[in-house]
Amino acid sequence: MRAELRWAAADCRARPGQALLVTLVTAAVVTALMVAGVLLQDAVNPWQRIFSESSGAHVWLHLDAGTGTAALSRLDGVDAVAGPYRTAVVTVPAGTGKLPLELRAVGSAPPRISRPLLRSGRWLDPAEPDGVVLERTAARAAGAAAGARLAVRTADGRTRVLRVLGTADTADSGPCPDWTPGLGWVLPGTLAAVGPADGRTGLVAGLRLHDPADTDFAVQQAVTALGGARVARVSTWQQVRTAGELDGRLLGLLLGVFGLVSLVAVALAAAGAAGERVLAQVGDIAMLKAVGFTPAQVVRMVVYQHAALALAGVALGTAGAALLGPVLPDPVGPAVARWHELPGGAVAASGAAVAGGVVLLVVAAVAAVPAWRAGRVPAVPGIRGVRRVSRLSRLARLALLLRLPPALVLGARDAFHRPLRAGLTVARLAIPVMAVTVALGSWATLDGFRAHPERIGLPAALTARAPGLSPGAVQRLLAGTPGVRAAYAGVETEALVPGQTRTVTLRGLGTAAAPYPYALAEGRGIRDRDEAVAGQGLLDLMHVRVGQWVRVTTAGTPRILHVVGRSIEPEHNGQMLSVGLDALEGRDGPPPPQYWNVVLAPGADREAVRAALAAASGGRLDVRPVANPADRLGAVRVVVAGLVAVLGLIGLAELLTATAGGLRDHARDLGVLRAMGLTPRQVTAVVTTGTGLTALAAVAVGVLLGLPVSRWLIDLQGRSSGIGSGIAGSPSPGALLLTCAVAVAAAVCVPVVPAARAARAPVTAALRST
Amino acid sequence: MSSTAGASDPVRGPERPRFPRIPRPRLPRARTPRPESSAPSATPATPGAGPHGEAVLRVRGLVRTHRSEGSAVRALDGVDLDVDRGEFVAVMGPSGAGKSTLLHLLGGLDRPDGGQIWLEGRRVDGLSEARWALLRRRSVGIVFQFSNLVSTMTVADNVELPALLAGASARQARTRREELLGELGLADKARAVAAGLSGGEQQRVALARALVNEPGLLLADEPTGSLDSRSTRDVLRLLTRFHEQGRTIVLVTHDARVAATAERVVSLFDGRVADDAAVESAPRGRRTTLADVLELKG
Ligand SMILES: Nc1ncnc2c1ncn2[C@@H]1O[C@H](COP(=O)(O)OP(=O)(O)O)[C@@H](O)[C@H]1O
Ligand SMILES: [Mg+2]
Repeated sequence: MRAELRWAAADCRARPGQALLVTLVTAAVVTALMVAGVLLQDAVNPWQRIFSESSGAHVWLHLDAGTGTAALSRLDGVDAVAGPYRTAVVTVPAGTGKLPLELRAVGSAPPRISRPLLRSGRWLDPAEPDGVVLERTAARAAGAAAGARLAVRTADGRTRVLRVLGTADTADSGPCPDWTPGLGWVLPGTLAAVGPADGRTGLVAGLRLHDPADTDFAVQQAVTALGGARVARVSTWQQVRTAGELDGRLLGLLLGVFGLVSLVAVALAAAGAAGERVLAQVGDIAMLKAVGFTPAQVVRMVVYQHAALALAGVALGTAGAALLGPVLPDPVGPAVARWHELPGGAVAASGAAVAGGVVLLVVAAVAAVPAWRAGRVPAVPGIRGVRRVSRLSRLARLALLLRLPPALVLGARDAFHRPLRAGLTVARLAIPVMAVTVALGSWATLDGFRAHPERIGLPAALTARAPGLSPGAVQRLLAGTPGVRAAYAGVETEALVPGQTRTVTLRGLGTAAAPYPYALAEGRGIRDRDEAVAGQGLLDLMHVRVGQWVRVTTAGTPRILHVVGRSIEPEHNGQMLSVGLDALEGRDGPPPPQYWNVVLAPGADREAVRAALAAASGGRLDVRPVANPADRLGAVRVVVAGLVAVLGLIGLAELLTATAGGLRDHARDLGVLRAMGLTPRQVTAVVTTGTGLTALAAVAVGVLLGLPVSRWLIDLQGRSSGIGSGIAGSPSPGALLLTCAVAVAAAVCVPVVPAARAARAPVTAALRST
Repeated sequence: MSSTAGASDPVRGPERPRFPRIPRPRLPRARTPRPESSAPSATPATPGAGPHGEAVLRVRGLVRTHRSEGSAVRALDGVDLDVDRGEFVAVMGPSGAGKSTLLHLLGGLDRPDGGQIWLEGRRVDGLSEARWALLRRRSVGIVFQFSNLVSTMTVADNVELPALLAGASARQARTRREELLGELGLADKARAVAAGLSGGEQQRVALARALVNEPGLLLADEPTGSLDSRSTRDVLRLLTRFHEQGRTIVLVTHDARVAATAERVVSLFDGRVADDAAVESAPRGRRTTLADVLELKG
């Protein structure tokens, strides 16, 4: 044991660069995987934890006031019913805009089912009739902490000041403001005061199911029991959970995928380095065996050595994740910082341990083959593998005839005269190049989101709302403002899907005559009143394809719509069905628009137009910029940049291995070449030409594979998140060229020092060494 | 090659002389039989018995054929050899005679295709590689012409390695290493990396490494093959000295002057033993005194 350790330590000391690189890239991969794990856990866990801790309801039904809900508790598979609670929707100021807030009337004792989990302050108190408890993300969005005063504006325009008694977590709704309306709890008396003047409040009831997977059946039964016309909106626990995990999950997946690709690359790099070292040390190993090392000990030695490097990497990576993680931008940093505080910290820590363990195992395990080879090295000194005789290829001879520099010709021969080995080297180098291409593709996709929002379904830069103005006035105002190219009036309403198992958002925007410029990935745009376009999320949800007909029910009115196209749909997980506003026309004409989407003329400045509109309307027009998904995904860029750095290190490790292999392979040839009269400089050129050409081939393979893989991965992500495929951007040619140039330059520069050293060694030593 | 046959041999000359300074009784040596006459089946099954009781090494009918890319070279073609305890045997022969192959087989670095080997009375030719490794740690020290040391390790580590392998504690290994390097005049090189030493120094370190576990048998394959005459003399003096301490040495060389250091010379030719003779006069080696060794350290 001690003897093995001595050797392993001496070996690492003799090749500090390689050992350091393997440790570093292992550490980087561990960091990436751990942060990915934390993000994925953070994305899923809080909801899960809150749900079980609060005995959450699986389904929430928003009903018309006065609906009889007694039937609900008798439904099959329903364990308990939360509420029904009377509700009223008010708005509260949030930053520069307004936040819709649903207030629920509950008792002074927290309810048993779906009990809000108090996080600060205290629960409602009859002694404090103006008190409100806010859901935590809603409180954050409204900038209100426990003890603050909150000015709420009722639906009919009155204002009332409430006092925030506390904040609470709930599994009933997703994080505000992405999930609207926000949620608050008040006493029944308070609700009466802020509710509509006619006393017609809403009603909400939650169902706790026996089998959580049974939501569809439960909703169907409930809607049948209550009457479809009375059910305004349905939300299920799956929707809430998905809403909560969106950003973190995307990043987590991105990091995870890259982490795994890097893990493969690291494993290959470590295996390559180990194999190369074994080959380079055949003499030493024979010597060790002559001294009395058993084959098993030799195998162990190599494995221990790699396990030690991997262990150091894992330790370094864990420290890296703990130290570096919290300073990364939102949402990565906060998630990592929260990691230890949460009750789930233990779970996250065990997840991190698993990530570390897997990396450790993989990196140590790939040393198995080289280790086995080392064990089989004959103890007889001086035996080398049988050398394959290679002749100058016809191409090389042609090149020499054409008076190309001999270094170039010989280097080319070096690079490819052993096809299998050359192929493996190219493949190993190509993997990091491919991953970099994919990373650049992600980057370009984000750039595309920002540069061409119309291509991801966000043609409008602004939305305008005007509760106090007539639609005609707003239309005139918008049309008359310079910089506005077009304004489309729209409404959004909930629609029950067939089978009445859940609701989707039905959007009426534009008209058949002047259709909204959706970003269509499939099919065509809306041309008729019974035509609709849908996001991928909706197609998946309803199991339909473009070209099929769907039936939805809005406010008790069934509608049959022809899905003529698929639009890129960044909102509501793509669960959007879009029609023309004219398609929603009822008996008394088209519905009044809720908002206008404002498409700007090319080159118009968003803020200038926004200011102009506010001024022209005398402040009565509420104009807000449309959020771009790229805003929330800023952390992706940090992640991508970090990964490119890691992949660069991996590539460097591979280059060092390839160089060492090339030099060892040709140690004797180099001696012969020099004996023939090549100068040391030319010898160096031979070696660098060899690695340079290998890198060139690897870059070509990596980029050619990376482009479709990047497109496929991003579209896969788009499809699974509901936005839909068709969002992938291609890496810019400039960035790709730069990558290739850097890779090839590194491949030419890295071997210069070792090659020059080998080239200056005495010819006799070179000739004798094999 | 010695056998129980006692007739004199015109090729080989008379019986081996006795050497008074060897403190144990020696049997008169007989001539080496021609390889073809020494059928392996004729050898006793228990080599420890009879006249071979003192044989550290006993080899019968050793055959080894190297095969590479179609061609086969019969490097050893039926070699018989006995080496008694405390003997210093030189194996001589032209390049390609099979000397190295023989030494590798004796050290268990390579497996014979036929024939038997007994080491200290124990049949070893069928041992697995791992068993051989264990055996080498304690009983066999080996020195080669080149690449004797692990290039990435220090001199001290190189020497301590076999001791640690044999189960010595780090402290014991260090003590023995210090002793040995001190004796060889290399105490100040302990921290140097092996690759940085001169050829003569490397060979002395290799000797220290081979001797650190005090093996009963030392195998040396042209240990002076790449040295200048002064370093050669140094290494030979060391070998002689260790021989005088009662160790058994098998030294392979193609240099007659080097072979003269030994007390018996076995000549190999084309994989067979061509001659086996005692060295009549060993002018330098036998008379090496402690003073000579001390001189080496300087
Ligand atoms: N590994 C090997 N593969 C093929 N032939 C070998 C190998 N080792 C030795 N030989 C051949 O066996 C013969 C004896 O070699 P060797 O024992 O090294 O001779 P010596 O040490 O006496 O010079 C030579 O002809 C040599 O070429
Ligand atoms: Mg030899």
